[in-house]
Amino acid sequence: MSLVTDKLTTKSLIETGELYSEMTEINRSLINISNFDFFYGEKQALFDVNMDIKEREVTAFIGPSGCGKSTLLRCINRMNDLIDVARIGSGKITVNGVDIYDDRVDTIELRKRVGMVFQKSNPFPKSIYENVVYGLRIQGISRKSKLDESVERCLKGAALWEEVKDRLDTSGLSLSGGQQQRLCIARALAVEPDILLMDEPCSALDPVATAKVEELIHTLKDRYTIVIVTHNMQQAARVSEKTAFFYLGKLIEMNATDQIFMSPEKEQTEAYISGRFG
Amino acid sequence: MNEVDPDNRYDLNSSRKSFLGITWEQALKGLFGGNALVSIVVLGLITLFLFKEGVGFFGQYRESLSLHRQSGLEYVELIREELDSFSALEKYLNSIRSMQSEQLTAEGMEFKEIKATLREDEEFFYDFEDLGYPLREYVLDSNEVAIAARDRYEEMLNLRVHRSNLIEIGKTQEAEALVINDVDLEQLFELLKSKETDFIEINRKFRQSIPNIIEQAPLYENTELAAKMSRFRELSAMFLEELPGYEASLLSWDRKKPIGIGESFTAFVFGNKWVTNSSIQDWYGIAPLFLGSLLISLIAMIIAIPLGVGAAIYVNQVATPIEQTIIKPYIEFISAIPSVVIGFFGIAVFGTLVREVSGWEALSWISFFPMSERLTGFTAGGLLALMAIPTIFTLAEDALNNVPLSYKEASMAMGSTRLQTIIRIIVPTALSGIISAVLLGFGRVIGETMVVLLCAGNRIEIPRFSEGLGVVFEPVHTMTGIIAQELGEVVNGSIHYRALFVVGLTLFVISLLINYMAQKIVIKFQISRG
Ligand SMILES: Nc1ncnc2c1ncn2[C@@H]1O[C@H](COP(=O)(O)OP(=O)(O)OP(=O)(O)O)[C@@H](O)[C@H]1O
Ligand SMILES: [Mg+2]
Repeated sequence: MSLVTDKLTTKSLIETGELYSEMTEINRSLINISNFDFFYGEKQALFDVNMDIKEREVTAFIGPSGCGKSTLLRCINRMNDLIDVARIGSGKITVNGVDIYDDRVDTIELRKRVGMVFQKSNPFPKSIYENVVYGLRIQGISRKSKLDESVERCLKGAALWEEVKDRLDTSGLSLSGGQQQRLCIARALAVEPDILLMDEPCSALDPVATAKVEELIHTLKDRYTIVIVTHNMQQAARVSEKTAFFYLGKLIEMNATDQIFMSPEKEQTEAYISGRFG
Repeated sequence: MNEVDPDNRYDLNSSRKSFLGITWEQALKGLFGGNALVSIVVLGLITLFLFKEGVGFFGQYRESLSLHRQSGLEYVELIREELDSFSALEKYLNSIRSMQSEQLTAEGMEFKEIKATLREDEEFFYDFEDLGYPLREYVLDSNEVAIAARDRYEEMLNLRVHRSNLIEIGKTQEAEALVINDVDLEQLFELLKSKETDFIEINRKFRQSIPNIIEQAPLYENTELAAKMSRFRELSAMFLEELPGYEASLLSWDRKKPIGIGESFTAFVFGNKWVTNSSIQDWYGIAPLFLGSLLISLIAMIIAIPLGVGAAIYVNQVATPIEQTIIKPYIEFISAIPSVVIGFFGIAVFGTLVREVSGWEALSWISFFPMSERLTGFTAGGLLALMAIPTIFTLAEDALNNVPLSYKEASMAMGSTRLQTIIRIIVPTALSGIISAVLLGFGRVIGETMVVLLCAGNRIEIPRFSEGLGVVFEPVHTMTGIIAQELGEVVNGSIHYRALFVVGLTLFVISLLINYMAQKIVIKFQISRG
């Protein structure tokens, strides 16, 4: 626990201003992936992936279905540990300089700092209130004032507060799809992560709800480092600073989003974003 | 018939083959619909049959209870209660005597010496016993009179039925030849009532002589014996105090008070006696059987719930795939063991083992250990647990399996441990499924027959819940057990036969209720997840 805790709590450093100058000018790299190979059983899903993800930026993963976007995303908070056949071939992933696949790393602590929002909104069959405070309750926090404060802060953070503040006791499942997804974001925020991983968070939402979530991502990036998987090119263009294009388990190209969409370097990238893919 | 043009793709008339105007699909539909119909009809027939056979019971029982009252048997029973408490006193006295002789033996005395020592006090014991003779005689005589009255009355009824049967089939002459003596129960009862003064006299003698005789009770030096003896004096005094009560209840007893159908119903539901083939009176009270079934089922559930649900959680959430493929079939395999084999195991191994364990020194601090019985509610309950575990396990595992993986992922992604995820998310989400699994396990247990018949000890008595936990080590009898045991020997249509049907009906209703509740809970579960 201590290993990750010490190095990951950069927020305190940010608050004291020590790192301030360094960060505002060129954001430093928070996640580093190098020579990363990944397997499901005998099947290799990722091939020699190398990338840097900058702090307080939105990075988008794009690519055709089955190219390994979700796989890589789930490697960053070690959710793939839940899959029996999953294993790493070689390479490593560091978060804030810590090798997260080191034996001494506690995945519980890692996941508190690297939150995740899933493609299909999955609020628990509990009240809205309990959904948000779940992450705190499992940490043993039960002081009412602290929980209340966190619920308001996170629901506001997820732009849901106004819509649900009068019915916090109703089931999270009674909300609309878009509201449910924002509830899941609020739930992830309650643990106070530094990084938010989002796997196609808008794929099940209508355009209005999608716009709300995108707007939310815009406001969140002031405080969080966000990695988002999306199939929607416009969305990638709208929300992200950096875009990474994957194809058949390989990272083909990663660059500033404008660059990728205006003048991609690789032919495959260009084919994919222009829709001429076959 | 229309001419069919092979090139016309728009000839939309059905070309499916049919047999007697029924297409293949219609036949299949009919087959499946028919199957469903058959099961509904069978269920209905069973219910109807149970009702038909059972419902007549309450009328018959009412008649039996009425006759019990009118013939004076009930009256005799009131007197017998007094005799029973006197017998209890005698029994206590005997226990003092055997305790004394045991102590003398322990002190190393020879058999002859013991006899000699005891002889000194013998007078007292015999005198006390002699006091009971008049009462005993009185009860026996009264009982004989009442039974004779009842038997003659029943004979008269039977003959009347016989006569009307004869008339019905046209044998009028034979019918007229039948001699039927009218029996006047009231007159016969007067015989009993007229002797009531004797009873009052007996009680008067008790009041007079018991204190006198107790004066002569031996004085023991041994403190334990002395304590027992002084307790005996107290008990005797209490007995004397009760005497006016017995007299009063005789006086207030009313032979003409009618017995309604409601009373026969309460006598069945709350009656604490199930006595059949008695020469005096048969009693059909379901309470001891119902409570016995309930006790055994509770024991079984207390054992089976943690094991079944725990195993389900382990297999579903914690076990590796290899463990899963081993554990699951094994637990499910238990339900393939025939219940008679489990019962056999219970008699041969489990019951003996429990009794042996209860004899261990280390467990002697438990008040009800060591136990004397081998076949008890606990023996049966423990084995029934074994039979409930597969049901609970399989259904609970299903319920856990139905919890969406996304809940687990969301919980884990927030940094909760596996245990926290299980306790806070997975089990609560599956809870109604687990509850209905438990209910169905309960239904399985309460309907089980063979094991309880073999292993429960079959003593028809209300379990003594006042004993606390010790109650689980008492032999009990069950509703299922009594049906299996007695239905083979009863006369069709007799009151006993009907009583067993009402017991069956009770079981049937309980099972229906349990299944209904389980279904309700599952439906609620599906909606809440919806
Ligand atoms: N649990 C798993 N077990 C085995 N193989 C898997 C598993 N999950 C994913 N894969 C395989 O890994 C490869 C990458 O899958 P991944 O889910 O990362 O793709 P993706 O880029 O997210 O696709 P999509 O856009 O459809 O979500 C696919 O070939 C997939 O079949
Ligand atoms: Mg994916």
